Amino acid sequence: MTCSDVERALPEMLDGTPDGSLAAEFETHVKSCPDCSDLVSDLKLIASEARQLAASEEPAPRVWVRIAAELRAEGLIHDREHDRDSEPASAPGRPILVPTSPRRRWSAWWLAPVAAGLVAAGSYVISHKPASAVAKQQAPATPGTSPSTSPASGSPTWVAETPAVTSGGTSGENAAAVRAPAPERLAQKSAPPKGVSGSSAEPAPSPEDQQFLSVVSTRAPSMRATYENQLQAVNADILETQAYVNRNPGDVDARQHLMDAYQQKALLYQIALDRIQ
Amino acid sequence: MTDPKPGITEAEAIEQAKQGHEAAFEVLYHLHKRRVYSLCLRMVSNPAQAEDLAQEAFLQLFRKIGTFRGESAFSTWLHRMTVNVVLMQLRKKGLPVVSLEETLEADDEAPRKEFGTKDVKLTGSIDRLQLQRAIDRLPPGYRTVFVLHDVEGFEHNEIAEIVGCSIGNSKSQLHKARLKLRDFLKFMRAEKAKTG
Amino acid sequence: MASLQQAGLQQGRFQQVRLQQTTVVTLVLATYLSAAAFAESKKEYRFTVGPNANVSVDTQYGAISVRPGSVNQVVVTATIKSASVEVDQQQSGNRIEIASHLLQGADQQNGQVDYEVLIPPDATLNLHSSTGPLSAERLQGDLTLEGTDAVVNVRNVANGHVHVRTMRGPITLTDVRNGHVEIASISGDVHLKSVSGPLVQANSGSGKIFYDGDFSSGGDYRFTTHTGDIEALAPSEVSADFSAHSVLGRVQNDFKLQPKHSRFSVEEGRSFFGTVGKAASKVVLRSFSGRIRLKQR
Repeated sequence: MTCSDVERALPEMLDGTPDGSLAAEFETHVKSCPDCSDLVSDLKLIASEARQLAASEEPAPRVWVRIAAELRAEGLIHDREHDRDSEPASAPGRPILVPTSPRRRWSAWWLAPVAAGLVAAGSYVISHKPASAVAKQQAPATPGTSPSTSPASGSPTWVAETPAVTSGGTSGENAAAVRAPAPERLAQKSAPPKGVSGSSAEPAPSPEDQQFLSVVSTRAPSMRATYENQLQAVNADILETQAYVNRNPGDVDARQHLMDAYQQKALLYQIALDRIQ
Repeated sequence: MTDPKPGITEAEAIEQAKQGHEAAFEVLYHLHKRRVYSLCLRMVSNPAQAEDLAQEAFLQLFRKIGTFRGESAFSTWLHRMTVNVVLMQLRKKGLPVVSLEETLEADDEAPRKEFGTKDVKLTGSIDRLQLQRAIDRLPPGYRTVFVLHDVEGFEHNEIAEIVGCSIGNSKSQLHKARLKLRDFLKFMRAEKAKTG
Repeated sequence: MASLQQAGLQQGRFQQVRLQQTTVVTLVLATYLSAAAFAESKKEYRFTVGPNANVSVDTQYGAISVRPGSVNQVVVTATIKSASVEVDQQQSGNRIEIASHLLQGADQQNGQVDYEVLIPPDATLNLHSSTGPLSAERLQGDLTLEGTDAVVNVRNVANGHVHVRTMRGPITLTDVRNGHVEIASISGDVHLKSVSGPLVQANSGSGKIFYDGDFSSGGDYRFTTHTGDIEALAPSEVSADFSAHSVLGRVQNDFKLQPKHSRFSVEEGRSFFGTVGKAASKVVLRSFSGRIRLKQR
């Protein structure tokens, strides 16, 4: 057998079931020919090393996030409600606010610091950049440069204004002195739950949310369902974005979206504040 | 990111996924993500594309999970689906999936000794990164067969069925791919010896 | 004699009864009439103002519609549904404040007050309503409109700043130019047709944003959603610097964009950057998981 014969026989010899006599000739030649011997051992080495490459790469966490989002969008995931546009069957067609007595403004002053606290939480998150931030996207960047996302710079109409707290606020009502939640606490509350057993349940509403809904129930009971739906929706957005940011700490744009989600929640509080009277 | 500990078997996860439980989908994803993604990456040599392909493969799998009856191993089913997704993408882009037997690929005739690497041996082990780079340099047709056979472990008859060629063609393509890789690796090793 | 006296007494009693009956009937009629009168009533309020008037109208339930009137007068016509609601009005110099005030037992039906308002074209306007709709047209002052579920409609406004926010109510702006436009909604859709100016900003959580315009005036256009889709339609001769990114959603673009130097990498299918024409305006389209489409008209 010549070197050319060996080359022609290689595919069969390495991967097939070679003919007995062919195999013997092949082996004889390879043992005596250094070049062919090197060739055979190199090709065997390549084939065996290649096996190590199977399942050697880890995809970025965003792949699962996208898959999960698509599964939800297609309705293949059944254990998480995203229907924020539907109202409970029992709710009236329109939200109505009925004060219990005339000329009495509910003292909702505590909502203002909560709303401000929400935005502060968002600011804390957006400003708490990782050391090795990889810029993935053109981000409007830090507060102060983008009016829409910068409460500190005073997007004046929406966030910074405090409600008109009229005097004679009712005593004995829920005029609880609520401290604005610390940003860390809010950020942690929005962190996704760990573990995969069971459904990915949303965390229990924060004390501020519970108080908010309790006051709405008291002052405008027919509004509760609407506000609760909207609150669940914005909380879900915060949760989803926070989870993504946790997995992709270098994604500046995602952090900005998290800030936007907090601002949406602050907007909800503000709208409630203005309407419940 | 730490993968969640499953706490359930693959079979249980499949059944729960059929009921629409997100956690079950996630378990199945984490069990197979490396295999699927690595296959995509080896085939297209582009991480962003590989992510999209891996995503699509899992989505196709999850959409059809209701039809899985366990007649074949779940991983085999997923594996096949992934290959089909990748090949469809390559065909859509007009890239050759596998070369015709009669057609020689570029540089196919380059003699193995051209690089002056006669004295460089590959014995021992091969640097994984170098092997990856070498695979990336392969022409698409060679790369497909090499990845499916040597990396992913498909047999020639399976490759022939998947890519639509003959078994002989599959064997021939594989051989040429290995020869080419040997040349690339020896060249890289020689270059490294010069500089290092 | 006795019979005469008896007859007189009888007549007296008869007259007394008649009087009582008449009184009862009158009272009943009066009650009915006054009730009828409060079933729905219209009231008009007129205020004389100087330049830079500031007009605020606040109603829980009811529509508010504002148009331009004479330059030194504010005219408010209130259609009051029932006696369960009254209108408070107050003037301090050039500042006018109108508010619906709900009384005991008021609800969305009987507590409704609809307002039609005429204001000086350059007056500053603030409208609040839970139910709406809210509309303002052909004005040049700064406008602030807020509704919970209210449908908001603003058209033909120039030179003034327009701020709108709703919880769920959809928002439509048509022919709004040359001012700052800032829109925020939690789940309402936003439609912007022929809207341009130095700043046009719209933010909706789950609502969609549609823009059909020319991105002109060398302005800063920023549309952001969380899950809602963003769709922008612009002419081929648009002059803008486009940036679009969806973290989880897809993006689509009809324009041939000139690549621009950027520190950031383009993620295929999830973002696009580039300029068209002289890139006079800046357009930033961002969504967390919504789809973004830039189409050519």
